Amino acid sequence: MAAGLDPTLTTAALAALEAALNGALALDPAGQQQLGRLAGSTFAIECTAPKVNVYLQPAADKTRLLGYYDGPVTTRVRGAAADFAELAGASDPAAALINGNVALQGDSAPLIELQRIIGQLDLDWEAPLVTVLGDVAGHQLAEFLRSSFNAGNAVSGSLRRQLDEFIHEEARLTPPRLEVEDFYTDLQSLQQRVDRLQSRLDRLRKRMQASHT
Amino acid sequence: MSEKRSTHFGYREVDEEAKAGLVANVFHSVAARYDLMNDLMSGGIHRIWKRFTIELSAVRAGQSVLDIAGGTGDLAAKFANIVGPTGRVVLADINESMLNVGRDKLLDTGFQGNVEFVQADAQYLPFPDDSFDCVSIAFGLRNVTDKDLALRSMLRVLKPGGRLLVLEFSKPVNPLLGKAYDGYSFRVLPVMGKLVAGDSDSYQYLAESIRMHPDQETLLGMLEDAGFVNCEYHNLTGGVVALHRGFKA
Repeated sequence: MAAGLDPTLTTAALAALEAALNGALALDPAGQQQLGRLAGSTFAIECTAPKVNVYLQPAADKTRLLGYYDGPVTTRVRGAAADFAELAGASDPAAALINGNVALQGDSAPLIELQRIIGQLDLDWEAPLVTVLGDVAGHQLAEFLRSSFNAGNAVSGSLRRQLDEFIHEEARLTPPRLEVEDFYTDLQSLQQRVDRLQSRLDRLRKRMQASHT
Repeated sequence: MSEKRSTHFGYREVDEEAKAGLVANVFHSVAARYDLMNDLMSGGIHRIWKRFTIELSAVRAGQSVLDIAGGTGDLAAKFANIVGPTGRVVLADINESMLNVGRDKLLDTGFQGNVEFVQADAQYLPFPDDSFDCVSIAFGLRNVTDKDLALRSMLRVLKPGGRLLVLEFSKPVNPLLGKAYDGYSFRVLPVMGKLVAGDSDSYQYLAESIRMHPDQETLLGMLEDAGFVNCEYHNLTGGVVALHRGFKA
């Protein structure tokens, strides 16, 4: 009767994802606390390609991922998997939501807040590693992971900057942001001067017509 | 002299009055190792089936839930977490041994205040009309002597708008899967039961009772006949298990 993917598969996948998500959140108590502020909200993520629905219910103790939910939804977003990936990685989520291909229904503020919290997660590897491996080995491994992640972030930041420079300065594929802003400022100023000139001409025309009559 | 009515106990025909006692003996025998056997027999997938059942229940904080044939309390524990301190979960089972295992397990893991334990027959539920927002019965309906009577009893205790969820073994939709499943049920399960629970007969009964249980469409018709509306079912794991849902108008 129920068509599509066997619910056993989707439910199992969501259960595994939920466990991994909560395991990761447990490493960032501050992030988890922030998620707690969204408790009571339900986010519906409707992926059109591939066709999957996921409902996310954040909470301070355990965030839930559901494949089926028929209660009230705070924010519903609909789009293809690629659109969601673009939104998740956006530096300005509000702009990405407005300009992207994701259709939004409901309250957008909690969704933007959720994206911000997820983007700022700072996982503390040390506590669980020390518990399992002991003080010395746990600390060493945590240091290694921390430096690897910091290096990874630095490398990705540097790559982004270099790519930015190459596109704007070397290949001149698109103009740099400052040049575009300058151009728009000049354009606006020109528009105002043209408007003022038009007003003076109108005034002069009226005065000439008045002197002729 | 009145003629005695018969019913099935696995593949055997027995007197209706005798079935409850025979089923009770099966569950007295397996109660202590029921959770372990469930994990072994299903490879842990029964947890996924129950998780899906919880999702479809749409139970919310403050609501009341009756889990019939609740056994060792898997569903009741999840419901208790969702309904919270303002809600109410009743774990009911006709079998004293199963109820004792479930009650001890829940109390030992900190569930108290919003969970009650009741020894009750699904055919004659000892609750007032319109008492629960949700009634669930997982892997229990096939053991009930008169399933139609039990379904009507469940309808009676549900509040208008409340929902019934029946999670039960069913008929695989793919014939190949059906053959593999038959081989597993009749060859592997009794051996596993003998090795782990020291009781192969009970697991032979389990396999037989699953084959005698109504298939998806028949059970759907039974729900409608009992008076449920908007009835539907979802096949899980290729129809090895089906989750039926119906609402009280």
